[in-house]
Amino acid sequence: MTALPFIDVVGAWIGIFLTFCILSFLYKDNPFYKFAEHLFVGVSIGYVVTLQYQDTIEPSLISNLNLAHWWKIIPLILVAMMLIKAVSRRYSWLGRFPLAFAVALYAGIAINAAAQSELGAQIKFASHSLDAEKADLNHADMAELGKIPGVNPLIAKKLVDERARTPFTSVDDAVTRPSLTPAEQADLAEKRGELVGIDAKAAVAAHDKDWFGIASNILLLAGLLASLLYFYFSLAHKGVVGRVSRFGVWILMIGFGASFGFTVQGRIALAIGRALDIQGQTIAPEDAAVIHGPLVALISGLAVVAGIVVWELRERRKAAAGTGAGGADQTQ
Amino acid sequence: MPDRSLPAEHWTDRLQRFDRRWLFLLMGLAIVVPLIFPIGLPIKPTPMTKAAFNAVEELHAGDVVLISLDLDPASTPELEPYYRSVVLQLKRKGVKIVVVSTWYQSPPLMERWIREAIDAPLAPPGTEGYSGAPDRAYKKNVDYVYLGFREGKEATILRMGNDLRGTFDGHANDGTPLDQIPMMNGVKQLKDFKLLVLVSAGFPGAKEYVQNVQARYDLHMVASCTAVSTTDLTPYFQTGQLEGLVGGLAAAAEYETLVGMRGTATAGADVLNVGHLVVIFAIVFGNVIYLIGRRNARKRGAA
Repeated sequence: MTALPFIDVVGAWIGIFLTFCILSFLYKDNPFYKFAEHLFVGVSIGYVVTLQYQDTIEPSLISNLNLAHWWKIIPLILVAMMLIKAVSRRYSWLGRFPLAFAVALYAGIAINAAAQSELGAQIKFASHSLDAEKADLNHADMAELGKIPGVNPLIAKKLVDERARTPFTSVDDAVTRPSLTPAEQADLAEKRGELVGIDAKAAVAAHDKDWFGIASNILLLAGLLASLLYFYFSLAHKGVVGRVSRFGVWILMIGFGASFGFTVQGRIALAIGRALDIQGQTIAPEDAAVIHGPLVALISGLAVVAGIVVWELRERRKAAAGTGAGGADQTQ
Repeated sequence: MPDRSLPAEHWTDRLQRFDRRWLFLLMGLAIVVPLIFPIGLPIKPTPMTKAAFNAVEELHAGDVVLISLDLDPASTPELEPYYRSVVLQLKRKGVKIVVVSTWYQSPPLMERWIREAIDAPLAPPGTEGYSGAPDRAYKKNVDYVYLGFREGKEATILRMGNDLRGTFDGHANDGTPLDQIPMMNGVKQLKDFKLLVLVSAGFPGAKEYVQNVQARYDLHMVASCTAVSTTDLTPYFQTGQLEGLVGGLAAAAEYETLVGMRGTATAGADVLNVGHLVVIFAIVFGNVIYLIGRRNARKRGAA
């Protein structure tokens, strides 16, 4: 294994220091945070410009410009038309053509996409029957068996083989057949509640009702209609309409709550990512041993705290001097 | 001397002026302490994660899948664990891999990820704590092809749908003509892949793949996304447009459990749980203080 180049080690140290600079904003806005913020913006813009030139403009435009393919100059003309506003107000209207072209292209793509995947598939799903049936272990295909809690494709195949030998007499019979390994039986035993409980998804007879699924479908339909009613403003939201609309608001709030929960999870995950990076868990142990992340974090943290203390004292001194001068002025 | 004409400040008023920086400190501790002293809370895969795992498990040796890495460095804590797990799962099954991206921020990251997870084995024989089948180092342009990045967002996805080779000028990222790579025989458009594995941090990503090419070409897709995007993508799982969805770090930990290889997501799962407890505590605490304060204010108003 090759040793980590020193420049990468320094890069990791800078990364740890900048992490603490950014986190210092939790105390208050300060020069360390400002430094890291400006550095981030500058580096990002420089990186984007360079990358776009190397990956897109150079290979797709500059390298393609020659007399044999003269028409490839058209994108360059469109870009020039877009930028003309910066040099001439009189001809700024020329910029509308490339803009209109781009907007029309992506609008066309978006409309088609929305019609196919949002309207078509979503309406189809939302308008399916309220009825729900349990998966019949004696007749379901492998794909359907795979959807049952605790069942993976391997177990599904074993269940199909087992029922071909002897049909299942009960769910418990199915999940304890000898061809299932002890680990697979343990997985299924863990899911027993979902297999035979009140919300059971599996049965050994055809057309066995999944009452939990039916209730779920009814709730989905009621929630959908109530939420839509909340956005219907041609009727006064009073009486029954008002109450249904209120139910729609609850459904929406539950949806927003789920989004908020996931957002919190995402933000905590970012913090975890930085912490794991500092700990050296995201790189090879040999590299982590060279970087000494926790030690560098301790030094960086102390440096940032010390710097903020010095900055805070200077700010207070300045504020006190300002107040003193103001007071002197008032006295005069 | 305190002004006795003013009513005494209620304790809830003092608490409502509580310095929020104490909460930041508490959250910081909630993140650092479980990382140093892991609790080892159980991880139970949810149906969406399990479905994603099962979709990959149904592949056979020699099948070709497309992995689209549409992400940036900020999303790596949530998406890298899934990427590593799914690559291990694909490699131990002997599935061939094609890697692309529609994000300009991806290439430097992708190159490192390919070097670490595809060019090198993730779980060679004797890997500690791993009981699954070992994987091996994949050879470039033999077992996997890296096509690189193309600008164009949805337009690129649409074009890949009907002309994958044209989108990448008929070459792999290293310049090798795709016609000279045996594993690319018969792979001309997205529907020629057995499965699309979308590792997606936002726009364009899994949503744009579903919207633009899934229904049109009847493609099989699984996706991993950041936690923030999970509620946007869940309806596509319910309709079957996505065969599986791994949303955020928590689901990535579930995926690691299913694959049998503990990674950074599993290490972060405890932290995630403790962090959420802190958030729940803060919400409940804030609301209780607010409600008691409001009741007290009403009482004082009535008096």
